[in-house]
Amino acid sequence: MSDAPTTSDGLRVFKPKPSLPPPPATTGVIGWMRFNLFDGIGSSITTVIGLLLLGFLAISFYEWAFVRGVWEAASRQECRLSPTEFGTCWAGVEFWFTRFIYGRYPDAEIWRLDLMAIVFIAWMAPLWAPKVTAKVMVGLSAILVFPFMAGYFFLGGDRNWFMAIMVAVSMTWFAGTMIHVAACLLTGKGLGHWIITLSGFSSRDDRTHKYPLLMAAVVAFGIVYFVIQSWQLPIVGTNHWGGLFLTLVISGIGIASALPAGIVLALGRRSEMPVIRVMCVTFIELFRSVPLITILFMATTMFPLFLPEGVVFNKLASAIVAVCLFSAAYMAETVRGGLQAIPKGQYEAAEAMGLGYWQSMGLIIMPQALKLMIPNIVGSFIGLFKDTTLVSIIGLFDLLGMISAISQDPQWIGLHHEPLFTAALIYFIGCLAMSKYSQHLERKLGAGDRR
Amino acid sequence: MSLETESTPEQIQSAASDEVVISLNEVNKWFGEFHVLKDIDLSVYKGERIVICGPSGSGKSTLIRCINRLEEHQRGDILVNGVTLDSNLKNIDAIRRDVGMVFQSFNLFPHLTVLENCTLAPIWVRNMPKREAEEVAMEYLTRVKIPEQAEKYPGQLSGGQQQRVAIARSLCMSPQIMLFDEPTSALDPEMISEVLDVMVELAGTGMTMLCVTHEMGFAKRVADRVIFMDFGEIVEQNTPEEFFENPKSDRTKLFLSQILAH
Repeated sequence: MSDAPTTSDGLRVFKPKPSLPPPPATTGVIGWMRFNLFDGIGSSITTVIGLLLLGFLAISFYEWAFVRGVWEAASRQECRLSPTEFGTCWAGVEFWFTRFIYGRYPDAEIWRLDLMAIVFIAWMAPLWAPKVTAKVMVGLSAILVFPFMAGYFFLGGDRNWFMAIMVAVSMTWFAGTMIHVAACLLTGKGLGHWIITLSGFSSRDDRTHKYPLLMAAVVAFGIVYFVIQSWQLPIVGTNHWGGLFLTLVISGIGIASALPAGIVLALGRRSEMPVIRVMCVTFIELFRSVPLITILFMATTMFPLFLPEGVVFNKLASAIVAVCLFSAAYMAETVRGGLQAIPKGQYEAAEAMGLGYWQSMGLIIMPQALKLMIPNIVGSFIGLFKDTTLVSIIGLFDLLGMISAISQDPQWIGLHHEPLFTAALIYFIGCLAMSKYSQHLERKLGAGDRR
Repeated sequence: MSLETESTPEQIQSAASDEVVISLNEVNKWFGEFHVLKDIDLSVYKGERIVICGPSGSGKSTLIRCINRLEEHQRGDILVNGVTLDSNLKNIDAIRRDVGMVFQSFNLFPHLTVLENCTLAPIWVRNMPKREAEEVAMEYLTRVKIPEQAEKYPGQLSGGQQQRVAIARSLCMSPQIMLFDEPTSALDPEMISEVLDVMVELAGTGMTMLCVTHEMGFAKRVADRVIFMDFGEIVEQNTPEEFFENPKSDRTKLFLSQILAH
């Protein structure tokens, strides 16, 4: 102690000790295995048994799927008579695979579904490109505007005045978005900037900038509207829709509508206005306490009884409405949970700064609450995606409906295991993707939470 | 909590004028059955700096929270800048625009950067262009001595830095009155002085300030008037010299002897 450095007035200089690395054998693969797999006799035995079980399952599966797998056959009978005996009939799955994906959609029109899938991906993909500006606009339009174009491509036929306008709006918007994205990627400046610059408005007051933008939008819309006026697609009734396509349509609409509807309901439930609160509570409790399948049955069988005679309500439409209402009620409670996790101080700080109700909700509370809710929201989305299989009970041929249809095809009669395995795999991939993406999102948005 | 009274630097010059900016008249408030504020009468003059102290539960926080309507009073009148606080939402918004508030727990928005915290209200409430709001924000962040933290998130700052951001955030709305609700109570001892320094500097600019605080050194140095509250009443109010040297009520004397004992 005596040789420790001192300051001029005789005080000992405090110097913190340096930080050292942790002792070896507690880190790395070996350390991890020792602690987690072979920590004592009991743990080692469990590990070995577990590994054996896993190996057995893997071998059995390999034998079923690959060793006995028959990939080329014209009927189930042929599969069974294969050299390996009772072969696993992947040939049937292969033969029906297009039907699994597109249902009974006419072969000649399938390009329409593919095209819409590509359009949707092209519309959403820019959200992940860092250079693109106005992402909120791009994302919102993909959810709000795209459905009109998609709806028409799926259904075809005549367009009434509303659909004629909306399809044109949708197409114009898509074209605009694509040009905007290209402009962003190539020049670093968005479409709006170029329209303002090229029209010579950039030197004028900021407030006049909306005029050239508005003009460009109206002109583009007009051109698209008149070009596609006499163009028409053959009609494909919703009774032909099916397979994974139908599953995605129902769950997609359900997912897209559930979150906004859930937010509105949750805010309504916390409202200080009694009428609104009672209405929201009633709605939420009613739809949450009835099984989805009951709601589906009621929507398709009971609801038409209340309609005036002659009015036919599309079965798919009523199923979609039922799914939306059900998921909105569930989402409302998820959102409410998230709202309750926000400390009171955040509301007070927003209020004290003079922000109004919608401003503080939209700018302060919701962004924080939604971030907290991501795991639950994605959980609901995954649930919804799987719950849509219930529509096969009211006679819609979604993915599961098509899977059971194959077993009634005379050629492939009784073929259950292989198609079901395929469906499980498709659902698994879909759900895993959502789940992984939500984890990624949580990490990305968690930037401000690092403490 | 105490500060060494010996080393108190010179008193800040008073900026109080005779124009009343806040007036409370027979204000009463209840939380359910509990009577928190009892017949509060108080006039605050423009540029005046008031320190409110008292034991916990005495109603001092509730009092200043009534002034920007974070709490609703049930009887009596509150006038801020000549505007009456009632259920009229327009009046409430008008008052909140002119009254800044700093909280004990900072209440910064954790999902926004320091700069965004400061520009949010000017942009959305005052409709200020973003660039201008950012310039104003940087000016105030410089005044509270943390311009280099502008791009960080609140969670990455220390408590003292967060509270200074909160003060800057309020100032960005260019308020005429600042309310401080125990701004240093949640801070580690080493960070209290950095926040108090900022508040002393703010007092030097002639801002009207109402501070609920137990920092008696701050009160002596800055306050024009010290108010002591207990059981929802104003027990005593006086200039800091008189208040500390010559308390008029036994309750004040007991309180002072307890907080200055250590």
